[in-house]
Amino acid sequence: MRFEEELVALLPRLRRFARGLARHPGDADDLCQAAIERALKSRDQWQDGTRLDSWMYRITRNLWIDERRAAGRRGVHSPIDDAATQVAGDGAAEVEAGALRGDVDGAMARLPDEQREVVMLVLVEGYAYREAADILEVPIGTVTSRLARGRETLMHYLGEAA
Amino acid sequence: MRVDPGTIAAFVDGELDDLTARRIEREAANDAALAAEIARHRALKAQLTAHYAPIAEEAVPERLRALLAGADIVDTSLSERRAVKRSRFEAIHWGALAASLVLGLTIGLRPWLPAADVASDNGVLVASGPLADALDTRLASNQPADAAVRIGLSFRDNVGRYCRSFESATIDGIGCRDGGRWQLEQTRRGQALSDYRQASSGALNAMVATMMAGDPLDAHAERMARNSGWRAR
Repeated sequence: MRFEEELVALLPRLRRFARGLARHPGDADDLCQAAIERALKSRDQWQDGTRLDSWMYRITRNLWIDERRAAGRRGVHSPIDDAATQVAGDGAAEVEAGALRGDVDGAMARLPDEQREVVMLVLVEGYAYREAADILEVPIGTVTSRLARGRETLMHYLGEAA
Repeated sequence: MRVDPGTIAAFVDGELDDLTARRIEREAANDAALAAEIARHRALKAQLTAHYAPIAEEAVPERLRALLAGADIVDTSLSERRAVKRSRFEAIHWGALAASLVLGLTIGLRPWLPAADVASDNGVLVASGPLADALDTRLASNQPADAAVRIGLSFRDNVGRYCRSFESATIDGIGCRDGGRWQLEQTRRGQALSDYRQASSGALNAMVATMMAGDPLDAHAERMARNSGWRAR
């Protein structure tokens, strides 16, 4: 299959991954668009015979991290981060947790970036720990520890009946 | 419960070897706390999967597909050469567009066409997807004002085939029924949403005039032709 055809076939999954990272549909598609453009430009760096999906997920994730860091430097804090800080400050986490039951987007938004991406890759996209580690370019132990923390937080917010 | 949380997670994620996984299953059968913990992990995974699954079922927005629709004309391993080629292509593309406004219609494969509306069948460009559906079924005399594909004229060409002119946001042209499919005799970039629409319709009709034998089909003849599957007599 040609490079572009494989990419087209990947788009539905890539959009799902991007939505998990960026949350807002418009932002997620912007992220996908940037990733496709980057992939077309950097096509020579993809080695034929290696997995295009892992490569695309890595590009997407790196662009998202860059964007998040740039936003951080500009002093742009997402409202979610502020809300999480407030909750931690006034000890109302339990109340908050009850309010979030069933709200997967809300619970995911409360995860630190490095946990959210691992949760998306392993629990939603179904990658093996080893594959997720390759995509994120971190040791496999980092994947499992971030995944464990992310899981606990999600179970906490989404409730026992998650 | 003698199984650590990491192992439970790995079990649920399918990361354990068969032997260890079977040991966990056996222990869970006799350990309600372990079984509950496994169920909790599975429930979370199921909830996340169910939540995100519909996104992958959505139609991919055109702006994303379009990025990849024209890219396969580029065939080289060096990005620098690709860039040069691409800029040359763009020059040709705009040149062709300008020329087509003057000359009427251009012929041949247009790489910016969305894959959904055209396909190549043994080297012949044919309509597919929504475009083929519109050509198959839509009557010029009875089409919604906001139809994505607008049928212009239906007629017979000088070898007796049924042909139909059409316009859409992405592609305008003329398709002729040949061998059970709509062979695209003429295509050009869609002008339906641009200021050039008038010029485009005029050019399309001029091309129809050169291909047409006799008069365009009237509403009745068009309906009869459709109901007979556009088979040439």
